[in-house]
Amino acid sequence: MTQNLSSSALVKPAVKDAQAEADIPASYGKTESYLLPKDPAWLFLFWEITAATIECIKSQYSADVLNAAKTIIRLYDVTGINYFDGTNAVQFYDMPVIFEARSWYINAPATGRSYVADLGYLTSDGRFILVARSNQTLLPPGKISDIIDDKWMIVEGDFQKLLKLSGADYIGLGASELMQVIGQRWKLTQLPSSGTPTSWSSFALHLEKPKQADEDIWLKADCEIIIYGSASKNATVSINGQIIELKEGKFSIRQHLPAGSVVDLPIKAQNAKGDKVRQINIKALREQGK
Amino acid sequence: MAEEKGYLALVLHAHLPFIKHPEYPDFLEEDWFYEAMVETYLPLLNVFENLTNEGTDFRLTMSLTPPLCNMMSDPLLIERFRHYLNQRVELSGKEIERTRGTEFEAVAKMYYDKFRRYQDLFENRYHCHILEGFKKFQDMGKLEIITCCATHGYLPLMVHKESVNAQIKIAVNDYRSRFGRSPRGIWLAECAYNPGDDKFLRDEGIRFFFTESHGVLHGTPRPKYGIYAPVYCPQTGVAAFARDMESAQQVWSAESGYPGDPRYREFYRDLGYDLDYDYIKPYLHSDGVRRNIGMKYYKITGKVPLNQKQPYNPHEAREVAAVHAGNFMFNRQKQIEYLSTLLDRKPLVVSMYDAELYGHWWYEGIDFLEYLFKKIYYDQSDIKLITPSEYLEKYPVNQTVQPSMSSWGDKGYHDVWLNSGNDWIYRHLIKAAERMMEMANQFPHADGLLRRALNQLARELLLMQSSDWAFLMTTGTAKEYSTKRTKDHIKRFNELYEQIKGNRINEAYVYDLEQKDSIFQQIDYNVYSSAAKDAVLKKYQ
Repeated sequence: MTQNLSSSALVKPAVKDAQAEADIPASYGKTESYLLPKDPAWLFLFWEITAATIECIKSQYSADVLNAAKTIIRLYDVTGINYFDGTNAVQFYDMPVIFEARSWYINAPATGRSYVADLGYLTSDGRFILVARSNQTLLPPGKISDIIDDKWMIVEGDFQKLLKLSGADYIGLGASELMQVIGQRWKLTQLPSSGTPTSWSSFALHLEKPKQADEDIWLKADCEIIIYGSASKNATVSINGQIIELKEGKFSIRQHLPAGSVVDLPIKAQNAKGDKVRQINIKALREQGK
Repeated sequence: MAEEKGYLALVLHAHLPFIKHPEYPDFLEEDWFYEAMVETYLPLLNVFENLTNEGTDFRLTMSLTPPLCNMMSDPLLIERFRHYLNQRVELSGKEIERTRGTEFEAVAKMYYDKFRRYQDLFENRYHCHILEGFKKFQDMGKLEIITCCATHGYLPLMVHKESVNAQIKIAVNDYRSRFGRSPRGIWLAECAYNPGDDKFLRDEGIRFFFTESHGVLHGTPRPKYGIYAPVYCPQTGVAAFARDMESAQQVWSAESGYPGDPRYREFYRDLGYDLDYDYIKPYLHSDGVRRNIGMKYYKITGKVPLNQKQPYNPHEAREVAAVHAGNFMFNRQKQIEYLSTLLDRKPLVVSMYDAELYGHWWYEGIDFLEYLFKKIYYDQSDIKLITPSEYLEKYPVNQTVQPSMSSWGDKGYHDVWLNSGNDWIYRHLIKAAERMMEMANQFPHADGLLRRALNQLARELLLMQSSDWAFLMTTGTAKEYSTKRTKDHIKRFNELYEQIKGNRINEAYVYDLEQKDSIFQQIDYNVYSSAAKDAVLKKYQ
């Protein structure tokens, strides 16, 4: 994480105001989930499951059944379905999840389709117990359509030329790079004088298209690490020295893993007295692309 | 003169998030607005004035977002800006004396002349209401001002369509109150389009919006003209104009982009750091910390450390801007000439940029635009500047294509506004939207204090929805400020909501928020009712 610069930005004491505006709610006391589109291949699901909901399920199913059950996300492809009733999906896909994570990035099986996500228990005999159902979300196709409008025909060769001219190779290289540069400038505008950078290049923007030689083969991949767990209620948990807030004894963090990085994430729990420690070490390595 | 072969639509998106802190005498992030005023908005108007005086016709499309319009009309910010500008006039005046006979004399004089000119425009010509200036050129038919989502809200990540409806309706009402007519077009915040949201545009009489290239390229069916003609959304007939990447690249690419020319002004070497502390202190913020003050005396020079930069030569830099404008025009002529061999109608190239890039970021970008307008008008006949409205009048028949969900952000979709660094906000944004809707449905006829509380509730929701906060969290700049703003609005929203629900509204609390978060004085919370949304959607069932 970059060191925050705008702490110097509040010219007058910010502390008082920060105290006046206490923190925001951790939860809203309602079992529900929402599904958002991220890009043609990814969805973001977040949820809240209340203790009352879990109690209600426990009252209907035996402890044996629930203990043996897996908690899952069931992702339904509901493309073209007017009203989804839980049974009429085109197809569904199950993936394991822990409810305590409270949010999850889901890799969609296909682009350009509509999805609904359920959270629930999958029992050992294959029954699904619904806990929360999301809204419906449509993902973009992420490609040139195969459908050709016969009232608006064009010679295929000309269309390919037009595509190239239209910048099909640049798709996704949006204004954000530009905005990053501007962001840097905003930041600098606010920088205190000590340590004026000397090596800023005045124009460091790269809006390059993929290299010619690589056009027949390309690969894009990114990585985020999710660490989650639980500890005794009064324990102080830290990850890599940074104290993590426990919510009902549980925690989860998510971290981007850039190319060429090694991260060490020792997780430590300490009791209130400070005389007992439990530790789990996690290491991750991501090599540079070749 | 020969007939044109095609059209160029230049589009500038002018936006800043609503930042106003009456609770502090002096607030750093407010500078974003003052800097943009003196480096971009007033210089642009100055160009329009010059062109008009000398009889050069031009066409430009500009979004002036509702938060920006609100700031431009806010008495406190206007007063503070007058002070800001006055200080620059004063300092640059002193600088003329100090630099006399040195290599910085010309650049010091340049600042003084510009600041004086902008001060004269602002105070005497536009009576401290810069929107008067923009309105004037719109009324003359040279500038097409379009609106934007009310608080630059990111529509595809809004689950409740009531929120989408409100972002559009509030923006359109705000526009009408300022420009005396309805907007014909809209800049969807971050060019983020979600299929179907065009229904809410149509309902307000909006005829067009803009997308990133693949918004149209990935549309269904295949767009016959690629991105060189607009398409109509099915059912609504709202036109989508897609961004041309070639002309975007021309300006911004690392190898061939214009702003990196060594003769242009160096952004990072600023007088706020260079001048004697006691001399510059009165022009710094009250904390006395050295920061950029917007006056820079050096040129980029080359890849050398900041202390080896050479003095800036305003005359030389203007010449370079003229050359670059000529190069840009030449490339558009070639592009349009080639395209016209492939298309059975005149091609349209849509060049879209953030307005603040011109002037604030690329200092000579303003000169570049002025030269470009002149050259296009006087030096050639292949291309003609056009606004989207004019294009649609010429070509009312267009292909019907469902544009793809898309944005102009990094990777082309929602990653910038939805990633592990900012995804926590949506739990709160969506809950607040749901609660707003619940309140609007529960109290259709509120008056008195309840009405004020509900209207303020809507303002808090709108302000927390600004896409700027999620963006700044991602770029890592002003992360603390953007996080605090998001949390403040969430907190204020939920506090107000509980007060309303518990029938214990605290008038002093409402009053305090009305002063701080004073955007949209004329807001009506009823815009969040489900009935208002259903009224739009049922037209398409």
